[in-house]
Amino acid sequence: MYLGIDIGSSSSKAALLDDGKKILGTKIVNLGTGTKGVYEALENLYAEAGITRADVRYTVVTGYGRLLYKDADRQITEITCHARGMHFLMPQVRTVVDIGGQDSKVIRLDEDGTVRNFVMNEKCAAGTGRFLEVMARVLGCSIGELAVLAAQATEDVAISSVCTVFAESEVISQLSQGAHPNDVACGALRAVAKRVAGLCGRVGMEPEVAMSGGVALNATMVRILGEELGCDVTPAPDCQAVGAIGAALLAREFYRKANPVETA
Amino acid sequence: MSSVQSIIDALCEKALHPDRTVAESCKQAGKEAVGFYLYAPEELAYAAGFLPVGIWGGSTEIKLADRYLQGFCCSIMRADIEYGMRGTYNRLRAVMLPTVCDTLKCICENWKVAVPQVPIIPVVYPQNRTLPAGEEYLREEFSRVRRELEDLAGQSVSDAELEAAFAVYEAWREAMRAFTKVASTHPQTVHAKARHLIIKAGSFMDKAEHTREMIQLTRLLAELPEETCAVRAVATGLVGEPLGVLDSLRENDVAIVADDLAQESRQFRVPARAEGDALSKMVWRIADQKGCPFLYEPEKTRGQKLIDLVKENKADAVITLQMKFCDPDEFDYPIYKAELEAAGIPLLYLEVEQQMDSFGQIGTRIQSLAEMLL
Repeated sequence: MYLGIDIGSSSSKAALLDDGKKILGTKIVNLGTGTKGVYEALENLYAEAGITRADVRYTVVTGYGRLLYKDADRQITEITCHARGMHFLMPQVRTVVDIGGQDSKVIRLDEDGTVRNFVMNEKCAAGTGRFLEVMARVLGCSIGELAVLAAQATEDVAISSVCTVFAESEVISQLSQGAHPNDVACGALRAVAKRVAGLCGRVGMEPEVAMSGGVALNATMVRILGEELGCDVTPAPDCQAVGAIGAALLAREFYRKANPVETA
Repeated sequence: MSSVQSIIDALCEKALHPDRTVAESCKQAGKEAVGFYLYAPEELAYAAGFLPVGIWGGSTEIKLADRYLQGFCCSIMRADIEYGMRGTYNRLRAVMLPTVCDTLKCICENWKVAVPQVPIIPVVYPQNRTLPAGEEYLREEFSRVRRELEDLAGQSVSDAELEAAFAVYEAWREAMRAFTKVASTHPQTVHAKARHLIIKAGSFMDKAEHTREMIQLTRLLAELPEETCAVRAVATGLVGEPLGVLDSLRENDVAIVADDLAQESRQFRVPARAEGDALSKMVWRIADQKGCPFLYEPEKTRGQKLIDLVKENKADAVITLQMKFCDPDEFDYPIYKAELEAAGIPLLYLEVEQQMDSFGQIGTRIQSLAEMLL
């Protein structure tokens, strides 16, 4: 069996794969790098699959916390792993959008799933999951509830500040002037979508476009991003685990390359 | 006899400690130092008996410079003003600053107030540098700079002294071109950080001394077997810094095999024309510089220059080291990005500033590039 681990800034994901590339299970724990999240995810995954650590032939770790995790055989970037995972799940996809907690990335894929190009947002939080977290806090709701509020909006409240800190002040100002929280929530999602659409333009977007990562669970976000891009955007199946699945696929590939006789 | 590694280590050490290196160089040469940034007629200062030394900013905390250059300005000039106000540049008899961008145009006036103890000699390059009128103007401008340096030195500079100084610099430029060519076939020994520091050391040493070191290093390097690396890249931008980026390149076995950096190859890639006196040759070296965002060029040949560098050096990709808020570089980016994409050359864009201290995301991008190309 092959293990893929994706340690993000706000959650830890793990995926288990067999020799025939069948996904045996995935686990997500909402605790990111520097926490026990990854160990909890692995414990749950092993228990569900009825295996132990000794049954894992090869492990690849990816994500923001990949350099701190020492029990893997190899570390690979989330760009490569999301690309690999997405091509496995949705081979027709040519552009992958992943809005992470710390950064957002857009990846261009070739027909065979190799990365042709990629862009990441610069180091500020504009266009990332952190922006949504801050907006949810101002509105007194969870990130999940932010999507529910936004879905009920009757109009967008434009949030013009690129900087997350300034945008927080702007939202507080909008609310104090009587803007409806639903409309503010919708404006927050659109602000992120606009930033991500800018990244898509830089990378040279081609359809189909799919989203990986936890933000893809937010149907309103997916819809608004599609509006900004002017094309359909599809959330990947098991979207949160795409990076971990990609890592598991690479673990299988690396192991088979190193042990051609055993795996022939 | 020195080994390749001992020469590299010594030059890297000199580049990492500019203050100490400049003090030693001044003592050895029996000269006083004059600072310069980007394009400056260093030969004039050399002929006047000064040691021209680069003022290329640095990784320092900005406290005083905020009064003149806010956070949205070029981090190199912010650092230069900071060092100037802090007294780090008090050793310099003057600084020569070219007015090639909006920040530099303003800073020449700010410098007089912020760093009054170090006189400034602005150098104003012509927009139409390739026209006869532009060349005539630049000759006049260099003559003015020469007079200011003569006043500073308290002695006149003869034409023979200027010819001799130009010859020293032309020999250095030839040695640097030879070094970068041989270095591109030894990407492990001359990894990204070493390459940058070896070249940068020349900014703080007497050029004649640096030339001697470079000739010896190039000869010894050429005797070593050629080396390979995972990714061969061409760097473009203002400077190959901060060093954390170069560390990330090395960690991912990405070598810089050629560059289009203002601090590096643009200083020496243009050879002098055969005809004319030293002053004319200095003017023509500016006229003949192609693909530099700091010198007006309506044809915008930077993209083609990068494509040529990739082909000549069998490179796999181009890496843009975009100094934050460097407008001239930012204006060029979309133009050469489209040209590189059309040529099928991968391009990695890294926005950097000298004062940055977190390289996690940049490391991820560099590693992703390496994974993409493997």
